[in-house]
Amino acid sequence: MSPEISRRDFLKLASVGAATTAALTGCGPASRYVTREPYVKMPEYNYNGLSTYYATTCRECSAGCGLVIRTFQGRALKVEGNRDHPVNMGKTCPRGQITLQGLYNPDRVTDPLHRKQRGSNDGEKMDWDAAVQVVTDALTHNQPNEVAFLLGMTPDHLFDMVSDMTKAMGAPAPIRYGAPAMFESRATLVQAAQTVFGQAALPSFDIGGADLVVSFGANFLEPWLSQVSQTRGYRNLRQGTPNHRGLFVQFESRMSQTASKADEWIPNKPGTEAVLALAMGRIIAEARGLPLPPAFATADVNQAASQADINADDLKRLATILGNAQRPLVIPGGQALAQSNGLQTAQAILSLNAFLGNLGKAGGVYLSPIAPLEDAYHRPASAKEMADFVGTLKKGAVKVLFVHGVNPLFELPKSLSFADALKNVPQVISFATFPDETALEADYVFPDHHGLESWGYQKVATGSNASVLSGAQPVVSPFHNTKATVDLLLAASQAAGGQIASALPFKDELEYIQSKLSTMLSNANGFFTAPEINSFTAYFQQHGGWWSTGDDRLAPTAADALNANIGASVSQFDGDGEFFLLPFVSPTLAEGGANKPWLQELGDPTTTVMWNTWIEMNPQKADEMGIQDNDIVTIVSPFGALEAPVYRYPAIRPDTIAIPFGQGHTAYGQFAAKRGVNPVDLLPQKYNEAGDLAYAGVKVHVQKTGRARKLSKMEGVLGVYGFDAKQ
Amino acid sequence: MANDLQLPVFTNTSEQEVSGKWGMVIDQDLCTGCQACVAACSMENNVPFVGEEDANYGRSMHWIRIERFWSGTFPEVKMTPYQPMLCQQCHNAPCEPVCPVFASVHSASEDTNLQVYNRCVGTRYCANNCPYQVRVFNWRDYTDARARPWLTSLQNQLSPDVTVRRRGVMEKCTFCIQRIHQAEQVAASENRSIADGDVTPACAQACPADAIVFGRIDDPNSRVSQAALNARGYHQLDELRTTPRITYLHGASNGSNG
Repeated sequence: MSPEISRRDFLKLASVGAATTAALTGCGPASRYVTREPYVKMPEYNYNGLSTYYATTCRECSAGCGLVIRTFQGRALKVEGNRDHPVNMGKTCPRGQITLQGLYNPDRVTDPLHRKQRGSNDGEKMDWDAAVQVVTDALTHNQPNEVAFLLGMTPDHLFDMVSDMTKAMGAPAPIRYGAPAMFESRATLVQAAQTVFGQAALPSFDIGGADLVVSFGANFLEPWLSQVSQTRGYRNLRQGTPNHRGLFVQFESRMSQTASKADEWIPNKPGTEAVLALAMGRIIAEARGLPLPPAFATADVNQAASQADINADDLKRLATILGNAQRPLVIPGGQALAQSNGLQTAQAILSLNAFLGNLGKAGGVYLSPIAPLEDAYHRPASAKEMADFVGTLKKGAVKVLFVHGVNPLFELPKSLSFADALKNVPQVISFATFPDETALEADYVFPDHHGLESWGYQKVATGSNASVLSGAQPVVSPFHNTKATVDLLLAASQAAGGQIASALPFKDELEYIQSKLSTMLSNANGFFTAPEINSFTAYFQQHGGWWSTGDDRLAPTAADALNANIGASVSQFDGDGEFFLLPFVSPTLAEGGANKPWLQELGDPTTTVMWNTWIEMNPQKADEMGIQDNDIVTIVSPFGALEAPVYRYPAIRPDTIAIPFGQGHTAYGQFAAKRGVNPVDLLPQKYNEAGDLAYAGVKVHVQKTGRARKLSKMEGVLGVYGFDAKQ
Repeated sequence: MANDLQLPVFTNTSEQEVSGKWGMVIDQDLCTGCQACVAACSMENNVPFVGEEDANYGRSMHWIRIERFWSGTFPEVKMTPYQPMLCQQCHNAPCEPVCPVFASVHSASEDTNLQVYNRCVGTRYCANNCPYQVRVFNWRDYTDARARPWLTSLQNQLSPDVTVRRRGVMEKCTFCIQRIHQAEQVAASENRSIADGDVTPACAQACPADAIVFGRIDDPNSRVSQAALNARGYHQLDELRTTPRITYLHGASNGSNG
């Protein structure tokens, strides 16, 4: 307990409604941090042998799932889902479970560092007062337009604080980016919603309410938008309606983890999703005897099937099933939109939903609720916007770059040459918790706390019917000499004086968060209200956030969608290779999991490979080329090349190879570094009309190297003797 | 003079007499193969990771793993529904009679298979005899921070409720016995018997698809007993008459049933 608050005060605050729930308020708002106490001095609520549970928010991705952390004598022992939280309802994904291996990771940045030479592992430890001075100087010695902030997709309170700060000093607004948003093609989804529905919101797909889901490469059971809530939707699709099992069809060139759960998997040629969607619309319109909407008028069913290299009868049959479904739903996936024609594909699929009449209805398409403290949905930067940002850096227009929560040297396509751009930035300051590639190239590393040691909130973008502000609180006291980045920036703002200081008159991070929460006190839509901010904060901590009790999803309208000529065609590909390249997000590692050893040791759901990168290749095609399992091949795209062992994957088109994203770190700690390869090295600098990267729009060559490396995998080595059935 | 050593006696109770106590139902139609159960199990039960090289030898320590199999060739290829595989807590457990030191024994009170770590001498007979291949062996001191210094900080999360195992010891799923015992103690302190839903193992708690149901199979009204009545229900390797405590529900995936 902090000396600022007595135990009696703490219990008064913590016990507000505490009897009804297992999750305790961490500490009263006046006490900033939980502290570890020696065994003999245990606080009276902490009985020997009993655990204390704290509600907080997961930071492994931006979905904003609520967690309840079991702690025991000051240590976090186990992650459990928050049962009351509307996003995940008590459930977690593997990355949420293993977030503790981030907290206790042996490779964390333990102290603020000054790096004399970029890229060198030797940093000189500093004290935090000096760090505050460095940040203050960076803010005051440069023109406001020479200061840039690059932030990740979490946490939102930091983004809000930096937004307020840059506004006060007249600097450019912070830029947010994360590889997941690139792989989800979020910008395209939002742009298509603007075009078709007239609202730039993030669509929300009611998988659980549907009785037929047709997905064009949407990996909704994997890290895509909100994995846990979508998996709950999948459950309800199958068993939510008594005696009626909803069906699920997936169009995708490779059988992903999601496609493996489909009743029917249709391996279409990449880039043909738009023509397929429009052809299905035409078949349904004709079957219903309706006048053909202009959107579908140019579609040619047989041509679409042949372009997609699928059976025309299958297409007609599936379209008929779709047309006859009671509550049909069609979902556009990230890889389908990551093509030169991605925006048309998204428009075609959203228009098909409009034609099926499912907008704003159970099992249909909604617009995600606008989160509290938001006026609208603000998406992270698209790859095109990042390219523009990198261009600004290259010109030398930015004198100091602050980086938090994102690792651009790993998450951006190498062809953008962020590394070169960094050379033209005189000062780079990283707030990384882990020594990632970007932190290694920074002049200063001022490590933020781990998410479980932090205050904060996350505005839930999608995944819940309610409007949700998910709350985070420290569940353990910081293990290392780290400092909350918001605290550091607030201190620097005060030291800088002037407009910044008066715009941010906050003592610390919690006071800043309370200033935001104070606007919500009287919001009667919430499941709790409070007369004053301290009680509100106590409830907010105890329950893990604030959410409304109603359904805040918006029903989109698409009056003119079907009158537009979408003019979709097959996408254009870069390169003249013999294989389509399909990079996909590793279902277990995602973008930031590689430094957690237990995530490395989870078998990939479809291939069971652990600890490394593999290249998926069709076995018949591999036979033709004389390639066996574990043979190392070189993949050459017009933008780069890489080497990795082959996994002969039975469920992938012969003209496609797939490679997971998540490995290939050169830094990021001992469990991640020098392990596998990163497919962003192969990606083009080509964008669709919404500015998303056409990462699935490249064709590559595959060459044998004559070398092999045995992949670690679960399959074939079961049993205590490591018996390999194939040998 | 004969000494009565009071050794445990193994009896092969006929299946009709078997009532069982704890059981599980796993719905393969819902399982998405996401590995959340594997992660949750490992975090709950102090299961160590072994690293790339040992994993390559098949020495990884997963107490629960997700299996899937293939049939056919592209484009007619099918994947079987994901099949989470863990100790089936057989009543007639093949692992038990082969243990020379009685480390693999049956619990009379919980009717589960126990592994007594401090009896185990590492003959690995039990794993040899397990038709489900769910027993894992500590080939090295995977939890010894003296040999593996990177573990020092990671060991902060070790649960005090679960033994940390050393080299040469066999281990396996316990149905989260520590959670069962805790729920029993809480119930006893409140002068009641255990209610349905009091015990949730880590895997079932995490499962985002809610594909795993756990509870008392001696209570016909419990959620798990009701779920086990499903017409899709079957036991793994039923022909071996091991009387597993886990009922699987057939799933359909990619058009192939089961």
